Amino acid sequence: MAVRVVKVDRDSLARAAGPFAARAILTGLRVTSRHFFRNLWGWIVGKPTIATVMYPEQDLVKPPAFRGMPVLVEMDGGKERCVACGLCEWACPVDCIYIVPGETEDAIERYPRVFDIDMGRCMYCGLCEEACPEEAIVMSDRVEISAFSREGTLWHKKDLLVPVDDLSRRLSHIRREYDRERVPPNPIATENEGRE
Amino acid sequence: MPEGPNRTLKNPVTVTIDGRQIVGEAGANLLQLALDNGVAIPHYCYHPKLSIDGSCRMCQVKIERAPKLAIACNTPITDGMVVDTQAEEVAEARRGVMELLLLNHPLDCPICDQAGECYLQDYSFGYGRQESRTTSPRRKGVKRHPIGPRVLFDEERCILCRRCVRFTAEISETEELRVFGIGDHSHIGTVPGRPLDNPYSINTADVCPVGALLSKDFHHKRRVWFLEETESVCSSCSNGCNIKIGVFRNEIQRLLPRRNDDVNETWMCDAGRLRYAFAHDETRIRHASLGGREIASNGASAAAATADALAEAANRLRAAIDAHGAKSVGVIASGGLTNEECFRLAALVRDRMGTPNVDVAVPMGDSDDFLIRPDKTANARGARDMGLAPGEGGLDVAGMISGAAAGAVKALWVIGSGDLEATTEAEALQAALANVETLILQDTNRSSLTAHAAVVVPGLVWAEKDGTFTNHAGRVQRIRKALVPPAGSMADGEIFARLDALLQGQAPASVAFDARATLGEIASKVAGYAGVSFGSVGSHGAKPEAETPAAESASAASPPAGAA
Repeated sequence: MAVRVVKVDRDSLARAAGPFAARAILTGLRVTSRHFFRNLWGWIVGKPTIATVMYPEQDLVKPPAFRGMPVLVEMDGGKERCVACGLCEWACPVDCIYIVPGETEDAIERYPRVFDIDMGRCMYCGLCEEACPEEAIVMSDRVEISAFSREGTLWHKKDLLVPVDDLSRRLSHIRREYDRERVPPNPIATENEGRE
Repeated sequence: MPEGPNRTLKNPVTVTIDGRQIVGEAGANLLQLALDNGVAIPHYCYHPKLSIDGSCRMCQVKIERAPKLAIACNTPITDGMVVDTQAEEVAEARRGVMELLLLNHPLDCPICDQAGECYLQDYSFGYGRQESRTTSPRRKGVKRHPIGPRVLFDEERCILCRRCVRFTAEISETEELRVFGIGDHSHIGTVPGRPLDNPYSINTADVCPVGALLSKDFHHKRRVWFLEETESVCSSCSNGCNIKIGVFRNEIQRLLPRRNDDVNETWMCDAGRLRYAFAHDETRIRHASLGGREIASNGASAAAATADALAEAANRLRAAIDAHGAKSVGVIASGGLTNEECFRLAALVRDRMGTPNVDVAVPMGDSDDFLIRPDKTANARGARDMGLAPGEGGLDVAGMISGAAAGAVKALWVIGSGDLEATTEAEALQAALANVETLILQDTNRSSLTAHAAVVVPGLVWAEKDGTFTNHAGRVQRIRKALVPPAGSMADGEIFARLDALLQGQAPASVAFDARATLGEIASKVAGYAGVSFGSVGSHGAKPEAETPAAESASAASPPAGAA
């Protein structure tokens, strides 16, 4: 079997490429140093000119359309808005939500006794938020879900509650997004007094 | 060629529904005929097992040569009738009815247990407007009112179809529920001092097409769309009401009646419906134990423990038989065993142990002339049919208990102690337990016997097994496995097969229990069960003695489309 042998003269190739390579390196160095000095100057005068955020000391301000981890809306008084209707649990494509409903004496008689989200499974699709008829679960701008154990990625109701005021940007965003602006935020929050 | 069921009709007439020719009995109900033939006509107040009310107006259809739309539920069919269910005026009438029904209906689907199986939700989606035109406030009414000990009433959700009123008037015949007030002030209620408290009260929650009447037991428990429903038979008495077992994450959430016109129509009693917690509660026996000590806790080791316990049980039975003769051993079975298990057990007792002392403990209780039977066990008749009755010179349950107390019966093997406890007086039972040398218990739940048992083998509850029950009338009905049994537990049939091998001195490896094959054996060997198989029993059961082929009776009993 005839084999065609090609001898490659690597030394001469390197010689030929040398000037180009040196130029590319210099170009890169120029860009890096330009940024370095510009940022240094910005830091000295207190006007940062770069996109880099000094995480974790600093946090990025995310746009309202950003989908971070889903959280539960906490109303004034520390109670959740959720009524444990189970639609998010049903909509969730990865089955990461687990709810056990309970009953209270409040006008809204139903509440989640247990509301767990397995953040290790959650894929931030936002379908729970879209399914929710109460605007009770929303995608927040939080992304820090790391934990040292599997149990640590299971978030319980008390960990998931976020005051409604902290979520106002996202809430107005989803009302726009899902064309819900005409709908009152909580259709069943009416007085349910008895006849007597 | 006109379509229609393959039944001989006395006076067949042909009606045309949406261009389809359908043959029915003259004077039959137009709505039911349509539903039976797969024509969907929305309806609230009509229920196949209740009288016609005509109050909801949802089933209006256009009938040729009729002056205006007519309600299908109250229209007897006549020859040549031409019905249009899809006309624009029918759609408009439905939209109108839906709008009026929704005027006062609260928008609380997220907290309503009926959501997911609610006629109002379905029809609102299918036939209603998507927008509300009203600006006036909705009527207020009582919420979460305990209208009876087992039923909650939400007045705001009620659409006044009066199904529940007719149920208490016609089926339970207790007449607790009435309509009070007139016009817009009408509401369902009870007379003071007479709450909705009858043995069938939760059926009102079943017939309620909306979430106005709700079962307290299921209230805020689980969304219905998460339930996996398995067709089965109620285990609480020998009537054998057909049910659906609603399961979520391997836990029974509720039992619902399933239509079977030959057994329970569409009803079941409250006692049977609410008796399922024993499958999960803290008294459940999940591990084998020897001398009152659990021998393993979980997983594969639990299975090994069960096997060890069975070996010990076999040794003790063999020792008692060798030392004192076969008559010193007594077997008390439960009516909760399936026919297949009873058949295996009967063969084991008769052929392997050779004792005539075998009987079924059948607790007796209240009964009525509707669905509740006095014998509170599902399969007492089947157990007797399979031969679980005292043999020649054998002792019955009372005889074995007194024999154990007197010392004549040295070893007792009790399968399901709950039934035995309910049939035997406590002192007599304690005397027997104190004196009997060996008590082997094959059981699902802890009882007063558990502490006395030398060997405890975990058994399965009815919802964890496949098989058949024979009800009081001899109807063979299928039960299906709805739950995964606790780790390490064995099907009762497998326990019998293993004991059979162990008592012969063989290794009990690889003796699986196949209910289907066992039923085949029963069909060929047990009198009165010829031709019975899972296929012939189907989902609605069959009477082996009946001359009609089982398949036909099953199809005749199958519920028509849209029946609640």
